[in-house]
Formats: sequence, structure tokens, C-alpha cells
Amino acid sequence: MQKVDLSTQLAGLKLKNPVLTSSGTYGFGEEYGAFYDPGFLGGITVKGITPKARLGNPVPRLAETPSGMLNAVGLENPGLEVFLNAYLPRLEALKTAVIVNISGFSLDDYALMAEAMPEESCIAALEVNISCPNIKDGGMAFGTDPRSAEEVLRVTRKHTKLPLIAKLSPNVTDITALAKAVANGGADIISLINTLLGMRIDITSQKPILANTMGGLSGPAVLPVALRMVYQVYAAVKLPIIGMGGISSWQDAVEFMLAGASAVSVGTANFVNPLAPLEIIEGLEEYCRQHGYAAVREIVGLAHR
Amino acid sequence: MLSAEKVVANQIVVPGSGIYKLVLEGEVAATARPGQFVHLQVGLATDPLLRRPVSIAGIDRERGIVTLFYRVAGRGTALLAGVGEQETLSVIGPLGNGFTLPQAGELLLLAGGIGIFPLFSLMDAVDRSKVKVKVLWGAENRQLLEAAGRQRLVDLALDYEVSTIDGSMGQPGLITNLLESYLRKRSLESTQQRISTVACGPPVMLKAVTEICLREGLPVEVSLEERMACGVGACRGCVCTVRAAGGTLERRRVCKDGPVFKGREVVWDAEG
Ligand SMILES: Cc1cc2nc3c(=O)[nH]c(=O)nc-3n(C[C@H](O)[C@H](O)[C@H](O)COP(=O)(O)OP(=O)(O)OC[C@H]3O[C@@H](n4cnc5c(N)ncnc54)[C@H](O)[C@@H]3O)c2cc1C
Ligand SMILES: Cc1cc2nc3c(=O)[nH]c(=O)nc-3n(C[C@H](O)[C@H](O)[C@H](O)COP(=O)(O)O)c2cc1C
Repeated sequence: MQKVDLSTQLAGLKLKNPVLTSSGTYGFGEEYGAFYDPGFLGGITVKGITPKARLGNPVPRLAETPSGMLNAVGLENPGLEVFLNAYLPRLEALKTAVIVNISGFSLDDYALMAEAMPEESCIAALEVNISCPNIKDGGMAFGTDPRSAEEVLRVTRKHTKLPLIAKLSPNVTDITALAKAVANGGADIISLINTLLGMRIDITSQKPILANTMGGLSGPAVLPVALRMVYQVYAAVKLPIIGMGGISSWQDAVEFMLAGASAVSVGTANFVNPLAPLEIIEGLEEYCRQHGYAAVREIVGLAHR
Repeated sequence: MLSAEKVVANQIVVPGSGIYKLVLEGEVAATARPGQFVHLQVGLATDPLLRRPVSIAGIDRERGIVTLFYRVAGRGTALLAGVGEQETLSVIGPLGNGFTLPQAGELLLLAGGIGIFPLFSLMDAVDRSKVKVKVLWGAENRQLLEAAGRQRLVDLALDYEVSTIDGSMGQPGLITNLLESYLRKRSLESTQQRISTVACGPPVMLKAVTEICLREGLPVEVSLEERMACGVGACRGCVCTVRAAGGTLERRRVCKDGPVFKGREVVWDAEG
């Protein structure tokens, strides 16, 4: 049987295969160790880190939706210092690329975290989550305004040599404007999509289900939106793309790669089927074999022909 | 941790009660402990998407089976009720920490409604030649008590008292009254036995009985429920709030750090 080359490289980020797990859905890489060795994955992305520890939102933080879910975890995380001292050493033991997701409420926050992340460690890249509100600028999300998005990337870029992934929010009218902005700001890679803003109401109590009223929609329900955005961004900018949003099967992953994603990331699907990322790796390999591709890289963007 | 368990039985316990007994044969039983739960996939489609957490109510290691009881509450549990015998269910588990198993003294079990289910496994596991078990159980009415397994307590020859809100069985009123009068009686008898308490039920009940236990200086473990996604501690969706040693507030994951917590640590109405 012909061997398929699954390895891929996105700018400075080398991966043994194109399947990652998404920030906020995979803890700090240990929780799914009971099901399989995370070393089989192309990489993992850890929960969003902020300079200071955050308690996050009150419960209920979750609500189910048709073929999806809402979350309003509110960026609960142990903070930069505890991450570096307690979690990073444990991540070193995982034989996979570690991507650290960083979130800030000001430009200084991003600068501080980029500066603090060691370049000689298991950290393979930083994923810059620009979906948080910019507290200093009146709470408007960095990620919905091209100028602030560019600024976040420019500032972060100055403080690290690690590959920078800009993670885009789908809650915008023109995703390509954001993609171009982060490219100008110095991003090496673009990942998309983060969650779509949504809500649900309990008809018995007549109140929103989430304590935070609104939350982020993820899961199969968002797949067509995410796929469309990956397709548009691929056509608009030259940067490599990590596609995510509702990916649960290898067929979904193939769609994203055909749309232009060089790698894919699995989030909500982990909750339903912990083995989903492994099944996707196997399925991608089999798809390439069946269709006569020697390397999975060859299928990236084919839907644009 | 992830297995396809065979459905040995899945039947309503009393017609019209909406409460089902589900017996699963497979890998879960081998390592399950009282107080743990399983995360069940209730359908094969993407809607409803998430798994459903259900407590382990009975463990038979030799036969490799676990018994669960669930009440049909919404779409997911309604789908579960339709699963037939000999079918398989995708199960993650056993999950969570489980109850502390006392080796001596008295074990006081406090149940609110269907909160009795996880306590069944504890009743089975505790060595009753060394530990005196007492059950206090409050529910809405007699029908619920019967459907949720009162006969089981009789069969086990357990010392138990019940209360119902509508007065249809036992002492009328809330379990808190039952608990107060039991503790009063007990203090008059001035027993020297060490007592530990385990409670499971709706949050208001847990909060109220925890306050009473703490006031009386009794250690109490509470089993909490919260909406869950992953079930394994990865998503931080199902947290509760605890007051840690230094007095600071911390979030704990009900699925991974719990579902059993020390009552004195839990902050019941935490905001922000
Ligand atoms: C650790 C744990 C153990 C449990 N043990 C049992 C048990 O032994 N027997 C039993 O009958 N029930 C038990 N429950 C509650 C049970 O999980 C819910 O009744 C069930 O998830 C409802 O699903 P549904 O689709 O029928 O309802 P829906 O209301 O349609 O569910 C919508 C969403 O909310 C969640 N949800 C709704 N109610 C609850 C709840 N009370 N707790 C957690 N999530 C909820 C669902 O999981 C789902 O994601 C337990 C819950 C937890 C957290
Ligand atoms: C519970 C939960 C927590 C999340 N936390 C973060 C986070 O901290 N930072 C971030 O950039 N994205 C976060 N996300 C978004 C995911 O990484 C991903 O972009 C999104 O869920 C879409 O993919 P999916 O449909 O495969 O889940 C979170 C998603 C979920 C469901």
C-alpha cells in the first residue's frame, strides 16, 4: 500500500499531520490522554491565556442548540504565571506541537504575553485570539475592527519570534477585510472561525439560559459558515489557513482543505466523540490514497480551480 | 473510558412515572465507584448534539453491569427511553471522583427527589456490619418515592424516613424538617458514634441541608449537577464555585473535580 505523506508546514509551524484540536475544547492537553496519546495529533491548542487568572462567567455556561452548542465560559484560565510554571512543563511531555492561545483586553496584554512565552520550549506557535472586547477602547472587540485587529498583530509581532496565528471572529460583515488586516499586521497564519454570537431562552423561566445571556455557537451547525469564510480568506490572502468550525468527520476535514485550509482543528466534536481527531487523521490518509494523492498538502484549495 | 455498552434492560419502573431503569453491560462496571457517573450518547444524529450525564446507581463487577435510573426530562432523555434491549450505547465513563466510603460510625444519607439514585450505589458499597446507615429522603409526593425506588430501601432493610411536600407519605414538608428532628432525637440519645453525611438533590435542598450540617458540625459531602459538554474536564462548562483554603474563590469542574464536593467548600450563590 502506498504511503501518504500527512506532514505539512504552515509558515514556521511544522506539523506531522494537519489535524489539531481547538482552544477551549481540549483543556491543557491532558484531559483526553485517557482516550489516546495526544502525540498522534498534528498539534493541540490550549485554553486561552490572559495575563491574570480569570474566574470566568457564572453558570449556566452552556446551552444546547440544534446541532450545536453555546458556551459562555468567559475565558476562565489560570493566568500567565501559573500557565508558565505549572502547565507548560507538563505540556513539554506531550509529543505534539503545542499552540498557545492568548487573549487580551488591551494591546499591552498581548505584548506582555507574547514576550513571556519562551521561544525555546514545546510552544510551536502562538494563536492570537482577537475576539475579546478592547476594554480601553470602549469594549468593542479587537476582532471586528480591521484597524484594531492589525494593531494587535503588529504589537504582538514585536514581542516574539514564534509563528503567529491570528484567530478570526466570524461576527463580521467582511471576513476578508479582517484577514487582510492581520496579514498586514504581521500574522504568519490565519485560523478561523471562532464562535458565532448567539443565545437561547428557557420558555419555562422566560429567561436566557446562559447566565451571560449570550454565548458562542460552535459545532456542526456552524460548519457551512466556517467553510464559506475559509474559502473567501483563501482567495483573498496568501497566508496559510487553519480551518475550524463544526468539523466532526474526515469528510468535513476534506471539505475544509479543499476550500483552502492547510490544516484543520477539531473543537466541539471532541465532546461528542473523543476519538474524532484520530478518525479524521485516518480518514484523510485514506481519502488521499483512494484519490491518488501522495501528500495531503496536494488537496489544499482544490475547490478553487 | 469510551466503550460501546450493551443495553441489557431499559424499562420504565412504574407506568406513567417517567422514570427508567437502564442496565448496561460492558467495560464501565470494572472500575466504577459509588458517586461516579457516565456520559451517554443518546442519539446517532447531531441533534441533540451533546452527551447526557447519568449517575451510576448500581455496580455489579462480577457480571460487568452497571444500573442507572433516569427521569425523562427533555429531548435527550426521551430519546434514551426509546433505546431497545440488545442495542449498544456509546458511553464515556466511569467519570468523576465519587463519594468517600466511611469505614465506621454512622452514614447519614440525605436525598432530595431523584437525588436518591447515586446514593443507591453507596448503600450497596458500604459495609453495614461496621457502618450504621440512615436515610432521610424528601420528595414531592408518594408516587415519586415509589417510582424512584422506596422498595429498594425496604428490601435492603435500611433505616429510613421520608417526607413529602403534599403530605402523601411520611412527614409532611421538606427534608430540612426531617433532618432537624432526626438530629434533635440523635443528640438526646447522645450517641458517641462519628457521623458523616452525604447529600444529593436539587441545589436549594443541598444548600439548606449543608447549612444545617455545618451548624451541627457534621461533615457533609454533596453531589452536584451542572450542564456539561465534555464530561472530562476539558471545556470548563460545568463549574461550581468553592472557597479555597486561603479564602479565595475558585472554580472547580463538576465533571472532573466532582461531582462530589465538601459541603463546607461550596459557595452556593456565586456571581461573577
Ligand atoms: C453528574 C450528573 C449526574 C446525573 N445523574 C442523573 C441520574 O442519575 N438520573 C437522572 O434522571 N438525571 C441525572 N442527571 C440529570 C440529567 O443529566 C439531565 O436530566 C439530562 O441531561 C436532561 O437531558 P434532556 O435532553 O432530557 O433535557 P433537556 O432539558 O432537553 O437538556 C438540554 C441540555 O441541558 C442539559 N441539562 C438539562 N437538565 C440538566 C440537569 N439537571 N443536569 C445537568 N444537565 C442538564 C442536558 O444535558 C442538555 O445538554 C445528572 C446530571 C449530572 C450533571
Ligand atoms: C467551550 C469552548 C471554549 C472555547 N474557548 C476558546 C478560547 O479560550 N479561545 C479561543 O480562541 N477559542 C475558544 N473557543 C472556540 C473554539 O476554539 C473554536 O474556534 C470554535 O468552537 C469552532 O470550532 P468547533 O465548531 O469545532 O468547536 C471555545 C469553544 C468552546 C466550545
